[in-house]
Amino acid sequence: MSFFSVRSLSKRFGGLTALDDVSFEVEKGSIFSVIGPNGSGKSTAFNCINGIYKPTAGTVHFEGEQISGLKSHRIARRGLARTFQNIELFANESTVDNLMLGRHQHMRTGLWRGMGMLGRTTRAAREEVENRARVEQVMETLDLTAVRDRPVQELPYGTQKRVELGRALAMDPKLLLVDEPSAGMSPEERADIGERLRSLRDDLGLTILLIEHHMQLAIDLADRVLALNFGKVIALGAPEEVRSHPEVIKAYLGDG
Amino acid sequence: MLLQIVASGLSSGSIYALVALALVITYKTTEVPNFAQGEMAMFSAFVAYVLIVDYNVGFVVAFGAAIVFAFLLGVGFEGLFLRRTKNPTHLNLIIMTLGFQLALFGLAGWRWGADQRQFPFPVSASEVVRFGDITVSTLSLATISIALVLMAAVFAFFRFTKLGVAMQATQQDPMAARINGVPVRAVVALTFGISSVIGLVAALLTAPLITLDPTLMWDPLLKGFAGAVLGGMNTPVGAVLGGYLLGVVENLFGAYVSVEFKSAVAFLIIVIVLWFRPVGLFGRQPPRKV
Amino acid sequence: MTSRELDHYADVQLLPGKAAVVKLVVLLAVLAVLPFVVPGYRIFTLNYMAIFVIVGLGMSILVGDTGQVSLGHAGFMAIGAYTSVLAMTELGAPFLIALPAAALVSAFFGFLLGLPALRLDGPYLAIATLGFGLAVTLIIGHGSLFGGHMGLVVPEASLGPLPLSGDISHYFLIVGITVVLAVAARNLGVTRVGRAFRAIRDSPIAAETMGVDVAYYKTLSFTVSAAFAGIAGSLLSLMNGFISPGVFSFTLSLMFLAMVVFGGLGSITGAVLGSLVMGYVNLRMDAVQEIPVLGPALQNFSDAFMSPSGLPNVGWVLTGLMIMLTIMFEPRGLYGVWLRVEDALRWLRRRSASGGTATGAG
Repeated sequence: MSFFSVRSLSKRFGGLTALDDVSFEVEKGSIFSVIGPNGSGKSTAFNCINGIYKPTAGTVHFEGEQISGLKSHRIARRGLARTFQNIELFANESTVDNLMLGRHQHMRTGLWRGMGMLGRTTRAAREEVENRARVEQVMETLDLTAVRDRPVQELPYGTQKRVELGRALAMDPKLLLVDEPSAGMSPEERADIGERLRSLRDDLGLTILLIEHHMQLAIDLADRVLALNFGKVIALGAPEEVRSHPEVIKAYLGDG
Repeated sequence: MLLQIVASGLSSGSIYALVALALVITYKTTEVPNFAQGEMAMFSAFVAYVLIVDYNVGFVVAFGAAIVFAFLLGVGFEGLFLRRTKNPTHLNLIIMTLGFQLALFGLAGWRWGADQRQFPFPVSASEVVRFGDITVSTLSLATISIALVLMAAVFAFFRFTKLGVAMQATQQDPMAARINGVPVRAVVALTFGISSVIGLVAALLTAPLITLDPTLMWDPLLKGFAGAVLGGMNTPVGAVLGGYLLGVVENLFGAYVSVEFKSAVAFLIIVIVLWFRPVGLFGRQPPRKV
Repeated sequence: MTSRELDHYADVQLLPGKAAVVKLVVLLAVLAVLPFVVPGYRIFTLNYMAIFVIVGLGMSILVGDTGQVSLGHAGFMAIGAYTSVLAMTELGAPFLIALPAAALVSAFFGFLLGLPALRLDGPYLAIATLGFGLAVTLIIGHGSLFGGHMGLVVPEASLGPLPLSGDISHYFLIVGITVVLAVAARNLGVTRVGRAFRAIRDSPIAAETMGVDVAYYKTLSFTVSAAFAGIAGSLLSLMNGFISPGVFSFTLSLMFLAMVVFGGLGSITGAVLGSLVMGYVNLRMDAVQEIPVLGPALQNFSDAFMSPSGLPNVGWVLTGLMIMLTIMFEPRGLYGVWLRVEDALRWLRRRSASGGTATGAG
């Protein structure tokens, strides 16, 4: 039983077919890149995987269980986290509070305990402290400690991207979907994010599914690569194989 | 009997349809329902009243002046206030219209008090005309005809004039419209002006039925909303149909079920439609983008 | 930056440090002494303002935190008021039971309204809540059980052995409940549920992606917010001695929305400030002419150019303008203004500390 598999995934919007019979498998502890020109269906695939869209056909399995068709929050609770291409941060909240949302599913404080949090020894307080400590760790690894209390909408773009990643990591996920992490970044920032992703795999054993428009980064990081065009799979395999695949070259050159 | 009820339903439905139309054309442009619309119309109607009663101006001239006033009020509200909102989220803009509504209501109450006035409309509510079994007051006839003419004019405007087409384009895709040279900001302001004028006509048709006071448009505004929700808030034709449908259903309810709770029909419709089919009978679901 | 031992509890603590404790003690002392210091007829005003604060706290949770519009909150207040009174008159329940009953019934209706709210956004939600509020007044106004237009008289109430009559006893009950609810609302805001609410406001998709059951929390927000309004309604019935549908109008719902906007959405302090101001304005609108200097001037102006009986409407004009000006210029409301004042003070302090050398502004 594979760690994560997508079988015959299709998504249609009215007359438009965004994904057509896409299948692939991801091994645990690997980095899997999805590449393809704009509009090839990469983000749509992510949206289907994490429950934002309901697939028109096909299934998604994670750790042996079907997750396609479930609502996003249930999929999150199975250990799946994702970042968004156009940052979807909680703009008015601070960095800490953004990451604390990542701890939401690991915490139990509800309405009454929350309202009644009076004093260090209450359960709500202890849970807050515990989870804030975890969030603090994540912020340290991402060099976000300096901006912990700033509202994220004030932060520069590159920092916001790190917060986006931090939120996902704060969830302590088993599978991380990263959607165009290097978009809008300088070469230095890109190399930096590449390093971070690599160490997440190597040091934490995290499995990463990566959409990346920047071909070089995608190839460098990946253990295996999937290439999409017009919603269809055009290549699947080892990085260099896919990169030199004629269909892939055509798709990118033809993209202008 | 049934036809009679339907006929009076069409008459009140005309007013609801006009309010719904006024609502929808600004909603399509800004995605914000203009809650101030009712009070804008009410205020403009008062302007007409003052001209007629205090300054002895003839109805037609007063009407014309009120139209100009309503137009400027709409354009002014959008250009001077709505547009200047610092952080124009939907919530903030809705609240802006609510604030304007409250201020206008207060201003009208302050200036004219709660005294109930009779609006001197040239067409009488007591004279009747007979069509076979149906008896219709001349006012009802006038209401239906004026509403239809106005709506036809508005639709023709949108369809066949350059400005109207530009407005439609702005409603569908402001970015594309701007790229194509449409002066989007002016168009939005104009839309509010037109909407305000339509509202004024609705107010003038409502005033003779009840007394003229600051709460004049409360009921029609709600019914107009209900009609727009029922028909579909992103389709003017749908909204108009919704308004008429509401008028007829409301009257049927009043005649056969309960007169007291007639107004409840509007709320019920709002709840039912929003629950089962929020886009309305004739509306279309806009796609969701991530 | 090296890892430092942060006191994480300080992030969420209600009273972080001695200064805060002192401030709270002083505040409570002032509140306790206030009814004996102000003229007797003003205590009613204070009670009224406190009730507005209770509704404001609920509105802050729903509108400020969760980002949902409600134009029908007067409806929840009405439900609370009528439940409370009917529990006492029809069921013979003591006030001690009537009050929580009011909260529960309002909460239930909040839950009911929350359900369709799940599929509705912004304008549609606003309309739905508008319809709800008006439907409530319509039903109350026509049902014989509710006393129709004339309303209901509130029976004598007591809290166990203590009679609840007279403004002062009402004051301690109402203000006491207000303080408790303010602390509860504040705590809710800084913990898991509050964060979930605000996540829904800022990005429901991201919230859902992170494991927040948006449907559940949206509904919860409506429920809690309605409960607050219901409690306020029950207390209002106690204060006034009678209730009638006319009180719970659309304009009241508008005031409720206005006060959290004006105070500053998303901040408890803002909600409290805004509620206090609006509560005062709403109550004292009929007495515009009593404002020193401005009052008589307005009265004269009114007699000369406006309808003489229309002067109270100035309150509406003022409220409307406050709303518009807030949204246009300082969307963070009074709280935002307060933040700016704080920033300015900080900048001044820094300037004088650095001996007047122009360092970068704060």
